[in-house]
Amino acid sequence: MNPSPLIPAPDAIPVPWGWFYILLMLTFLLHILLMNVMLGGGIIAVISSFSRNEGTNLIAKEFSYKWPYTIAFAVNMGVAPLLFVQVLYGHFIYSSSVLMAAWWLSIIVLLILAYYSVYLFDFKYDQLGGLKVLAASFSVVAMLFIAFLFSNNMTLMLQPEKWSAYMTNREGTILNLSDPALWPRYLHFVFGAVGVAGLFLALVGKLGFCKSKADPQQLIEKGMKYFTHTTILQIIIGFWFLIALPQPVMKLFMGGSSMATGFLVAGIVLTLAALHFGFKKDVVKTAAATILLLVAMIFMRDLVRTGYLSPHFSVSKLVVQTEYSPMIFFLVVFVIGLMMIGYMLKLVFSMPGRDTKDPLAEEGA
Amino acid sequence: MNYPVWELTTYGGGFLIALMAVVHVLVSHFAVGGGAFLVLLEKKAYRENDRDLYAYVKTHSKFFLLVTMVFGGLTGVGIWWTIALLNPAATSKLIHIFVFGWAAEWVFFIAEIVSLFIYFYTFGRMQRKSHMIIGWLYFICAWMSLFLINGIIDFMLTPGEWLNNSNFWSGFFNPTFWPSLVFRTGISLVLCGVFGFVTASFITKGDLRQKIIRTCSIWAMAPFVLMLAGLFWYKAALPEAQLSMILGSSPELGQYMQLHSLLLAVLFLAALFMIIRLPQGLQKVLSFAIVFIALNYFGSFEFLREGARRPFIIVDHMYSNQMYLDDQNRVNKEGYLKSARWSSIKKITDQNMIEAGHELFNFQCSACHSVNGPLNNILPRTAKYQSVFGMDAKLNGLGKLNMYMPPFAGNVLERKALASYIVYNLNGVDSEHIAEKDVPSTEQGLTIPPFDKDKDQYVLLAWNNLGMHCISDSDPFWLILPPANDIYAQLILRGDSPEIITEGVELEYTAPEGFETPQKQVRFWEFADKLLGVKLEPGVGLSGLKVNGKMKLEEDHNAFAAKYVPVVPYKNDGSFNPYPVFTITARNTESGEVLASTKTVVPTSTEMGCRNCHGGDWRVQGITGISDETSLDVLRMHDKNTGTDLADKAKAGEPMLCQACHADPVLGTKGHADLLNFSAAMHGWHANFLTDRKGMRACVTCHPSRPGGTTQCFRSHHSEFLDCTNCHGTMEDHALSLLKKEKAAGKKGADRLMKNLKTRNIDSVADINGRTPWLNEPDCLNCHVDYEMADTDDAYNTWTDGAENLFRLRHDEMGALMCEACHSSTHAVYPATNNKYGSKRDSIQPLQYQGNDRPIGNDCMVCHTVQPEDEGHHPNSLRL
Repeated sequence: MNPSPLIPAPDAIPVPWGWFYILLMLTFLLHILLMNVMLGGGIIAVISSFSRNEGTNLIAKEFSYKWPYTIAFAVNMGVAPLLFVQVLYGHFIYSSSVLMAAWWLSIIVLLILAYYSVYLFDFKYDQLGGLKVLAASFSVVAMLFIAFLFSNNMTLMLQPEKWSAYMTNREGTILNLSDPALWPRYLHFVFGAVGVAGLFLALVGKLGFCKSKADPQQLIEKGMKYFTHTTILQIIIGFWFLIALPQPVMKLFMGGSSMATGFLVAGIVLTLAALHFGFKKDVVKTAAATILLLVAMIFMRDLVRTGYLSPHFSVSKLVVQTEYSPMIFFLVVFVIGLMMIGYMLKLVFSMPGRDTKDPLAEEGA
Repeated sequence: MNYPVWELTTYGGGFLIALMAVVHVLVSHFAVGGGAFLVLLEKKAYRENDRDLYAYVKTHSKFFLLVTMVFGGLTGVGIWWTIALLNPAATSKLIHIFVFGWAAEWVFFIAEIVSLFIYFYTFGRMQRKSHMIIGWLYFICAWMSLFLINGIIDFMLTPGEWLNNSNFWSGFFNPTFWPSLVFRTGISLVLCGVFGFVTASFITKGDLRQKIIRTCSIWAMAPFVLMLAGLFWYKAALPEAQLSMILGSSPELGQYMQLHSLLLAVLFLAALFMIIRLPQGLQKVLSFAIVFIALNYFGSFEFLREGARRPFIIVDHMYSNQMYLDDQNRVNKEGYLKSARWSSIKKITDQNMIEAGHELFNFQCSACHSVNGPLNNILPRTAKYQSVFGMDAKLNGLGKLNMYMPPFAGNVLERKALASYIVYNLNGVDSEHIAEKDVPSTEQGLTIPPFDKDKDQYVLLAWNNLGMHCISDSDPFWLILPPANDIYAQLILRGDSPEIITEGVELEYTAPEGFETPQKQVRFWEFADKLLGVKLEPGVGLSGLKVNGKMKLEEDHNAFAAKYVPVVPYKNDGSFNPYPVFTITARNTESGEVLASTKTVVPTSTEMGCRNCHGGDWRVQGITGISDETSLDVLRMHDKNTGTDLADKAKAGEPMLCQACHADPVLGTKGHADLLNFSAAMHGWHANFLTDRKGMRACVTCHPSRPGGTTQCFRSHHSEFLDCTNCHGTMEDHALSLLKKEKAAGKKGADRLMKNLKTRNIDSVADINGRTPWLNEPDCLNCHVDYEMADTDDAYNTWTDGAENLFRLRHDEMGALMCEACHSSTHAVYPATNNKYGSKRDSIQPLQYQGNDRPIGNDCMVCHTVQPEDEGHHPNSLRL
C-alpha cells in the first residue's frame, strides 16, 4: 500500500524552517541530557540500593536529592523540543501518536505516579526502609516503559508505511514492535542514559555538590565505572542499531552521505576519546567529550529521521507565512528568562553559610 | 479529514480532555495565585515575628510544590498530549500559529520551576528580602504563563481579526483576552484561599489555625470582585453567536449556566462560613468540600467557555470535528470519505454501507459524542430515530437551524450510511421493523346510487371541498387540525335550461354505518376547550353539526354546505377508513319528498408522518394516527428549539392549538404578530431537514400521500404523471414561497429558516412569488390555459389572488355551478380511480349520472335535456 495518501497536509510555519531546526536541536540536547540523568540516575540508584556496601547505598541517597530536579527539568526541557518537532513534523507525529494513543496518553499518568514515587523516595528516604527501593524501582520501571513508548512513537512517526495498521485497529493500541530498529534504538537510549548518569554522579563528586554523606571519591569511581562499561556496551548496541536501520538510511552513514558518514566517524572518535578519558577518571574531559558526542549523536538522529522521511517529506517543503515579530518576542523573553534565572542563582550562591538560619525557622508549629 | 481518529466509544465525546482539563485548570490557577499568597504570608510572619505562621508558610509551600509542580505541571503537559490525540488538526493549527507564544510560555515555565525550587529549598537559609524576591519572581513567571496561555485559549473562542489578517498578535490579543485575564487572575487568587483551607485545617494549634483559616477566607472572598468584573466583561465581549450559545440556544449549556451561577454563590458562601470558629474535624471536611465546590465551579465555567464556541474548535475557522469551514462545500460535492485521508472506505456500496457509516461516525461525530459513555452519549440522543430516513433527515438539518452542531459534511449517500450505522448498528433497530409498510389496496363494497335519465328530474352533485382533510389525533398534546370536513352540494333541476335549486328544498347528509360516533375514536372532545377555547358536546363539531345533519344554503355559491362536520377516519370498531361514503339527500321542504339522492366520499386521514422523525409508532394498526410518544416528542423539540414549555403544559393537561400562536388563514387564527404563520413555520423549519429529495418524497414524509401508504390522497388521474411538486413546488421552493411573504411582512424568524434553503426549480429566491398559505394557491389554469389541454406540467409560482379565486370556491363563467361540482375536489378531480379503498369511491356521481368516471358534463344530457350549443360554463366545455 502506498502510504503517502495517509500523510496529512502540514500547516504553514511562521519563519523559515532553519530557525525551528536550531531550536529543536538545542533544546533536544538539553532534554536528552536531563532525561539521561533522570532515567540513568534512577537505574543507578536502584542498583546501588541493593548493595550491601553502605558507601554504595549512599549513592542512592545522594541521587534521591537530585532526582526530583531532574524530572522537573527533563519534563520541562522536553516541552520545547516536542513543540518544535510538532512545528516541523507535526503531521507525522500526530498521526503516529493517535495510532498508539492509549499507550501515549498513559505516559502522563505513569509520569505523575513515577514523579510522586520519586518524591516519596526523596522526602521519606530514611523512614521508608526497604520500601524505598520499591518506590524507586516503581519510578524506574515506569520511566523505562515511558522511554519504550517514546521509542515506539519516534520510530512509528517515521514509517507511514506502517500506518495502515490503523485500518484494522482504531483503538490506539498499535505499537511498532515489528520494527527491527526499535529494540536497539531503545537500548541505545537506555544504556546511554545510564552512562551519562554515571558521568553526572562523577561530576557531582568532582564538583563537590554532594548533599548526602556519600564519599565524593567513591561517586567518581562508581560513576566513571558506570560510564565506561555502558559506553563499551553502547558500541555494540550502536552497531546493532546501525545495521537494523532500513538499507537506504543505513547507507547514508556508510558513505552514502558524506555528512552522515562524517558524523558517524566523529561519533566513534568521540566515543573512543570519552572512553580514554573515562578510564583515566578524568571527569571533566570525559564530560566535555561526551557532550560533543551527544551533539554528534543528535545530529545523526536527525539524519536518520530525514532519511526515513525522505521519500515522503522534507522540512524545506513547508510553506512559510512569514511573521517574524512573535519570534523576536520569544527571543526577548528567552533572554529575560535567562537573566532572571541568573539573578536567582546569584541570590542562591550569595546565601549566608549553612549554619546561618533565619531565627524564625528555628522552631515552629 | 487530515488525521486518524482515536476510537474511544465510551470515553469519547471529549471525556478525556474534560477530565484532564478540569483538574489541571484548578491546580494551575492555584499555582499562579499561590505565589502571591505564600510571599504575603511570609512577609506577615516576618512583620509580626510569628514563628508559627512562618512554619505554616513553609509547610504550605511544600504542599504547593507537590501539588502544582508535579500534578499541575504534568497535567498541563497532559492537556497538550490529550488535545493532540483528540484533535490533532486543531492542535497543529494552534501550534503553528502560536509556536512562539508557547515557546515564551516555556521560558516562564523554566523560571517558575527554578524559582519554586529555590523558594522551597532555601526556606530559612536565604536572606528574608532575597527569599521574598524569589517568591515574587515565581508569582510573576506563573502569571506570565497564564497571560500567554490565556491568549491562545481565548483565540479559539474569539479569533477576532485573525480570521481576516492571520496575524499572531490579532489572534493573541483577541476580543476576550483581557476580560478572561481579569477573571482568571481573580480566580487564581480565590484558589489560594481555597487550597489554603486544606493545609490550614491541619494545623494543630487552635489559635493559629483559626487565624490562618480566616486569612484564607479573606483570600477566597476578596478576589470575587475581580472575578465578577472579569465575568461581566467577558459576557460583554462575547460576539452574539457565542453569547446566545451559552444563553440557551444550546440546550444543555443553559443548565451549565445555571450551575455556574449557583456554584459561584455557593463557593463564596462556603468561604464566608469558614470564618466561623468550627471544630477542627469539621474544618478539615469543609476544606476538602470547598476544593470540591471550586473544582465544580471552575469546571462549569470551562464547560461554558468551551461550549460557547460550538460548533467550532476555532470559531469560524474549524469545526469541532476537525473540518475546516472552507472545506465544507468541496467535501459536500466530492464526498467526505474520498477526502478523508484515513478512511479505509472510499466508495460506498450496499455491502460496506454500515462500515462506511461507522467510519463517518468516528470522523464526524465521535469528537463530541460518546457511545454509551458519560459525555454526550449518542444512543439516547438518537434512540427515537427508528428509521434511517428520520436519522438521515436529522443529519440533513444539522448546523442549519441550531448552531451547536456542525453541519454534516459529505454527500447524500454518505449521510445515509451514517444514518444507517446509527440506526442499525448503534441503536440496534431491526430493519424489518422500520420498513415503511406497503399497504395493499382493498376494494371495499360500494353501491352506486341509481339515476334514471328519462325519469329523474333532479341531479344532485355533492363533494368534499378539499379532497383530503387531515386531522391530528394528538389531542392530549397538541392540535393542528380538528375533525372538520366541509361537504358541499348543488341541486340542479334538469331541463332545456337547467336551473340550480336553492329554495324550497332541504339537503341532509348522513354518515355511513360505523362512522356515527367519532367522539369514541379520538380524544378531541376531551380537550376541545383547552385546544380551541370552546366547550363542545361529544360528537358535535365546531359549527354545531354532527356527522348526520342538515346542510345550509350558501347563497354566494348557489350551494348547500355542511361546514366543519366532525368526521374521523375511524369506524366504531376502531378500524381505519379514510374514505367514508356519505349519503346526501335532497327533499322538498314542504312535502318531504325525496327529490334526489347521491353519495360522496368525505376523505379524512390521520396518516401524518410525524413519527418518521419524531419517533414513536403509528397510533392505529401500525398504519396511521399520531401516538402519544410522537406527539410528546414534537412538543419537546419545539421546547428545545424555541424555549417554550409546551411539553410540561401538555402533561399538566393543557394542550395547545399550534395555530393559536402561528397564524393560519384556514382556521382563521391571528396568532402572535411577530411569529411566522403556521404553514411558513412548518414547511420552513422542516424543509431544512428534507432538502434535495426526489419527486414528492419530502411531501409525503408528512402528508398522507405516500404511494405505499394507506391513504394515498392524491388520487386523480393527475397522479399518474404529476406529483405534488408540479403544482406546489419542491419542499425548498414551497417553503421559500411561504417564508418570502413572511419576511416581506417583517417576521424575524423567516431569515433563520431561509438561510440554508436553496431554490431547486427556480433560479433564485428573488424569482419566487411569495404567498399566503391557503389563499394564494396554484391555479388549474396555470397549465390548462383557456381550459385547454395543458402543454406544461409546471404550475408552481403563479398563485391565485385570494380566496375567491381558489378552485374549491370558484364557479363556472355563468356563476352557476361551482368548479368542484363537476370536477370533484382538489387532488381527486375526475377521473380519480387511484383510491386504495375502491376505485369507484371518488367517481360516484359521474358513474351515477353518466355511467363513466369523467367530469360531470361529459354528457351534457345529464342536466340538459337539449344539447347546448354554447360553451356557457367555460371555454372548451363542449370540446368543440
